[in-house]
Amino acid sequence: MGTTARSPETEGHWAPYEPDDKAPWNLRRVVHLHRRAGFAATWGEIQRDLKDGPKASLDRVLAGKSAVEGVPKEFQKIANLLGESADPSGDPGRLKAWWVYRMIYGPDPLGERLTLLWHNHFATSNVKVEDLGAMRRQNELFRKYARAPFADMLNAAFRDPALLIWLDAPANRKGHPNENLGRELMELFTLGVGHYTEEDVKEAARALTGWTVVEDKFEEAPARHDAGLKTILGRRGPWKASDLVRMLLEHPATADRLTMRICELFMGEGAVRPEEVAALAAGLREHQLDVNWAVEKVLRSQAFFAEGNLGSRVQGPIEYVVGAARALELFDPPSSTLVLAEWTTRLGQDLFYPPNVGGWTQGRAWLTTRALIGRANYAAALIEGKQVGRDLALDPVALAQRHKQAANRDSVLNFYLSLLLGTELSSAWRERLAGTLDSKTWPDSVALRRALALILATPEAQLA
Amino acid sequence: MLSRREFLRHSSLLALAPTIPGFLAHTARAAAPQRDARVLVVIELGGGNDGINTVVPYRDEGYAKHRKALRLPAERILKINDHVGLNPSMGDAHKLLESGRLAIVQGVSYPNPSRSHFDSMAIWHSARLDAEERNSLGWLGRGLDGGPKLPKGAPAAMLIGCGQPPVALRGRRSVASAMERIEEFAITAGADPRSALPKTEFPDDLRAFVQRSMLDAYTTADRLVEIAGAKAVDGRYPAGDLASRLRLIARLLKAGFGSRVFYTQQSGYDTHSGQLSTHAGLLFELSSALRAFLDDLAAAGLADRVAVLCFSEFGRRVAENGSQGTDHGTAGPVLLAGTGVKPGLVGTTPSLLDLEAGDLKVGLDFRRVYATVLEDWLGLPSQAALAGAFERLPLFRGA
Repeated sequence: MGTTARSPETEGHWAPYEPDDKAPWNLRRVVHLHRRAGFAATWGEIQRDLKDGPKASLDRVLAGKSAVEGVPKEFQKIANLLGESADPSGDPGRLKAWWVYRMIYGPDPLGERLTLLWHNHFATSNVKVEDLGAMRRQNELFRKYARAPFADMLNAAFRDPALLIWLDAPANRKGHPNENLGRELMELFTLGVGHYTEEDVKEAARALTGWTVVEDKFEEAPARHDAGLKTILGRRGPWKASDLVRMLLEHPATADRLTMRICELFMGEGAVRPEEVAALAAGLREHQLDVNWAVEKVLRSQAFFAEGNLGSRVQGPIEYVVGAARALELFDPPSSTLVLAEWTTRLGQDLFYPPNVGGWTQGRAWLTTRALIGRANYAAALIEGKQVGRDLALDPVALAQRHKQAANRDSVLNFYLSLLLGTELSSAWRERLAGTLDSKTWPDSVALRRALALILATPEAQLA
Repeated sequence: MLSRREFLRHSSLLALAPTIPGFLAHTARAAAPQRDARVLVVIELGGGNDGINTVVPYRDEGYAKHRKALRLPAERILKINDHVGLNPSMGDAHKLLESGRLAIVQGVSYPNPSRSHFDSMAIWHSARLDAEERNSLGWLGRGLDGGPKLPKGAPAAMLIGCGQPPVALRGRRSVASAMERIEEFAITAGADPRSALPKTEFPDDLRAFVQRSMLDAYTTADRLVEIAGAKAVDGRYPAGDLASRLRLIARLLKAGFGSRVFYTQQSGYDTHSGQLSTHAGLLFELSSALRAFLDDLAAAGLADRVAVLCFSEFGRRVAENGSQGTDHGTAGPVLLAGTGVKPGLVGTTPSLLDLEAGDLKVGLDFRRVYATVLEDWLGLPSQAALAGAFERLPLFRGA
């Protein structure tokens, strides 16, 4: 880990966060941490982290132990059962439900966010793979190497049968090249556009010949491999797939692309400057593309907790759907994870079915007409219960009471605004919610449910 | 020089600009339909449409020779000229032809045609003859990859139906979405989510964007309800699934949807037995739904923006089989409909006497139709999409 004290990341860029008057460790920042590095925190988890301070809270997040509420004792066992039963069922919905279960009930939400990052980075769709078992094994691979040095992830992902089938690896053989795999390896998985030529793509395809899937398993088939000399990225040799992968890992542009992915996940619009991005990429290069190093660097940084990074990122459909369920502690009785997965699809993010190998376009692009109508409808459905497979509607007064925030109508509203948005009840908010809550009939669960659905349908609630 | 009234109207719109929906601001500027506002609707006829009884070569000696039970009497055929006419069930299609809104491309196929539903459809979807390249990307997806990104993130292509978008719509980067029912745009939340929006616009750019997008979305939802409710304006469609789906497409277009390609399917054309009535029913459904759709678009002022392409994975054998049906064949007609289409017959009518092992000889390569649709109608590059340069056909007016 030997970096000198003067390396770029310690000179202002990505300096560690130290709470002060301008950036206090407050409820807003705790909510922010969990919405970016997880799927929202419950009130109890928020209060715990407020009390314990940033260092301990980040330790927990990074160690995969930040979610405590709703986590069943036998979580891993249940998750495995759900996953394994999805394969033979032939129903993709069951596989999606398995992953949603992991997100809501698992102790390591950061791990799941990173798994989702990799699912998007190596975007593989079951529409062509048509094998739930293979998709699940790919997902477990992403989970296993989620924080690993990128060389480990890339080498594993690039031998994954689902990915290889998706990108036509079996069709790519000596004398009959198929450029799909080589192109996406360079354009999407490592270098990015502009760092290679069409000739490189052609030669890469030749290098990758023989890299195939036989009986659902990865195989290198020498008979199909074009062993001739190739010139790739200016270097000439009898390159094969492993050589190409090694060259791409060594290429400086790969660190830039990984940095982009990490910043896309943790940093909001306009929250990070080009020189900071470059500094992080330089650091990644120095640390052998160690993803965990970069994730930790960013999450513990002043930049991450700066005012400009709060509430500056559009929440994707998964975060929106799962986050609301977690924050409102809708663990037991559970909502139907099958139905929640259908909702994320309706909102524009169909797990295991990314629109193409480029993955989902994020940020403002999430907010299409259908998605926005869907979000408002989802909020109401989640709270009322029936349309997400729960017989019981949320009891919002009881939840606030459980956390001793139910003294009066304003304290209840304040509780929910804090919980869901990290903000407080202001006159502007009072104005917006006034129509739905009549103080004469307080405590009124029906009206309060409606108010909560509205809170979740506000512009602020789409951001985190 | 603007009149005072015009100026006031214009300036009040501007003052409200942050809080008026995006598409209203656009219509205030009233742009003429641009090249890239053109839309393609694809109707996939699943199963292998019997082209011979669709575009009937009633004077060809081979017709009487090879078809007995399935021979349509000449007096009932809706004549196009002295040699060829439409199936009697296609009255509405005939009207489209007469009103200059239908083109019929004859004898369309590809070299060494496959008679497997799965393989041939994959070829039509991918525009690739090589077996290993057929399950990857599609001709429209690739074509849309080469085009401009759509404003407001509308998906470039939409499947109207259930399941995942088909191969034809898969691109490397372009996005295809799927929807089934107009209800997906209905606000089902108890309280009107519009009340969750602040009265003035946020000072911060991102929040303002979200606010405007939400307003847009709810306004579109309202607009769709309004469109659906206006029965007279919504157009008179016949019964049936295909008509419902075309009506949904028309509603989306009226509401300002940005997608460039809409795709839907009509299945049931695999008529191995008892073909006559089944085929008649399908062609009637297709013709009447198509005409209702085009008339609806015309009433909404959208007719010049939309073209419809109807194709099937193959035609059927010239001779009928022993079950009053036909088996898988080769070439078949492709239909193109819309006011932008150059009406009439295209290509040579395939001979029913000069056959290739009992099948129609291959006439026009389907990729020529695709190249024409991509370039002349959608303004998209076709060479990468079709892995080659294919000579275009005179299918569109003014092309």
